[in-house]
Amino acid sequence: MTPDATRRRAIGQILLLAAGFLVLVAISTASVLLVNKARKDSALVVHTVEVENRINNLLLDIRRAESAARGYLLTRGPEFLKDHQSAIATIIPGVNELAQSISDNPRQVDNLGRFRAAVETRLEQFRQQMMLVARNQPESAVALVQAAAADNIGGSIRQLAAVMSTEEARLFALRTADADRSQQLAAIVTIAGSGLVIALAGVSIFLVRRSAGARDDAEAMLRDNNLNLETTVDQRTADLREANEEIQRFAYIVSHDLRSPLVNIMGFTSELEELRGDIFRRIASLARAGSSAPPAPDNATDTAEPLLEGADKQLSQDFSEALGFIKSSIAKMDRLITAILNLTREGRREFQPVRIDTRELVETIVTTMAHQAAEAEAEIRIEPLPEIVSDRLSMEQIFSNLIDNALKYLKPGVPGEISVRGRTKLGFAIFEVTDNGRGIDPKDHQRIFDLFRRAGTQDRPGQGIGLAHVRALVRRLGGTMSVSSELNAGSTFTITLPIRWAASNRNRDS
Amino acid sequence: MSSPVTIIMIEDDEGHARLIERNIRRSGVNNAIVPFTNGTDAVNYLFGGDGSGIDHKGSALLILLDLNLPDMTGIDILRRVKENSYLKCAPVVVLTTTDDSQEIKRCYDLGANVYITKPVNYESFANAIRQLGLFFSVIQVPPAAT
Repeated sequence: MTPDATRRRAIGQILLLAAGFLVLVAISTASVLLVNKARKDSALVVHTVEVENRINNLLLDIRRAESAARGYLLTRGPEFLKDHQSAIATIIPGVNELAQSISDNPRQVDNLGRFRAAVETRLEQFRQQMMLVARNQPESAVALVQAAAADNIGGSIRQLAAVMSTEEARLFALRTADADRSQQLAAIVTIAGSGLVIALAGVSIFLVRRSAGARDDAEAMLRDNNLNLETTVDQRTADLREANEEIQRFAYIVSHDLRSPLVNIMGFTSELEELRGDIFRRIASLARAGSSAPPAPDNATDTAEPLLEGADKQLSQDFSEALGFIKSSIAKMDRLITAILNLTREGRREFQPVRIDTRELVETIVTTMAHQAAEAEAEIRIEPLPEIVSDRLSMEQIFSNLIDNALKYLKPGVPGEISVRGRTKLGFAIFEVTDNGRGIDPKDHQRIFDLFRRAGTQDRPGQGIGLAHVRALVRRLGGTMSVSSELNAGSTFTITLPIRWAASNRNRDS
Repeated sequence: MSSPVTIIMIEDDEGHARLIERNIRRSGVNNAIVPFTNGTDAVNYLFGGDGSGIDHKGSALLILLDLNLPDMTGIDILRRVKENSYLKCAPVVVLTTTDDSQEIKRCYDLGANVYITKPVNYESFANAIRQLGLFFSVIQVPPAAT
């Protein structure tokens, strides 16, 4: 998976979450609004029902008053009068309450105005009836009742009430429909919102699962890669080890086989040298015979240099010189081949990790070099050194090479000061061999570690093997080696070795 | 050296062979030297056509052996000589350039009598061969088993 795709996916998920949140907020708001509206609608419906109730109550009260008045008129029973009066008492407040509750509807206010007028007229009629009854003029009262019946005020009151009821019924139907619509809308919004949220959640879960799957795949791939990497490293290491062994074998065989012709070259050169003696003796004797000089008693001493003169002598010297160069070159070649052989043999030697008291080891080396040190007027100081587990012989070779070098390349005429220091750091022991000798030009720092290469004034015997050998040993012991030095300012060779070296794979295989 | 002893020289490098012969002669050894430059010829001579070595029954041999031969390793010849009932008493001098300690040990294990590394330095080489010649002149070699 590319990083770009990963970023896109992350952004998508964030957007998805944001959308879900927004939908939730929208649903909540809409629900609150719609619920409020539904409550208002319901309140209006209830209000309508109340108004209708009041109208009916009013009609009932008027009827009650009417029938009580009639009863009173017929019987003059005081309970009828009381009943009538209580009914009359509730009518005007009832009309007022009704007026209050329908004040929002102008049509009903208009109707109520007429209703109120009719009711007041009716009440006036009642009042006169009662008054006449009270004055003991029942006939007039009866006539009044008849007149009232002819007027049909009660009928118009009922009619008006019916108009108002019809109006309220219309409102009721309207408001009920409104309330229903509000509730329906609320339900739809809630359901749709919930559905949307669930859908978003579903998409989220799908995406999360997919990315989790991708992550698992990536993890598995990483594990595989790790395994592959380890295998590859092992393979490469094995290859390198094999190549290294091949080189060692090759170096061994080559140097070995080079020796064989060298024996011939050296042998026949020496034979030539002997022949040379014979030849020049012959020449000398011939020359003497030619010049009739007194014969020298040369037969007695075979090895004596024959007496030669002029061109013959020159010839003899040239011959010797040539042979000398050949022989010294052969000797040098032999030394180099021997060195390579020793190095390859060293490279094939098995290392044994043992506990080493480094200080004691260095002290022993210094003791064996005491004579050399005394000759160079050098003082070797050994500071406390950390103990390590390593190959003893290699450690001996490393330190004796370094100390030997330090003694060998001191500044002439300056008393030598050589010190061996040690410390530990992160599982490694760091040793430093410092001298105040002639130093090494920084441009030669790499070169001195190369086989057969030397640096500086060539006034000391040596093959250029020591440091190459030391570095090879240090590497085989799992360490590193470096030098810091300036010309005429002494040198410090630093060796870093693992404190606890275990025989490596390479060693086990060899 | 009692006169019938024959020196078998198995050496692939003719130069080496010449130098060895010369220096042996210089030390005053006049025994017959039979040179071979490869292993096959030497084996054929030593063990005969039937490979039993019966041809040399009763004759005294001294074998000068190089290890690095073009067609086989001298160690094989050494092993066969020391396993052969007629030849096993013949002294074998291994004379080679190899100075590998394991190789040396192996040769002695197989019954080599002397192991000499050829020095490159001719003085040492000549010296070694001459001393070997002196050694040859005093060594008693039994005739091959009857």
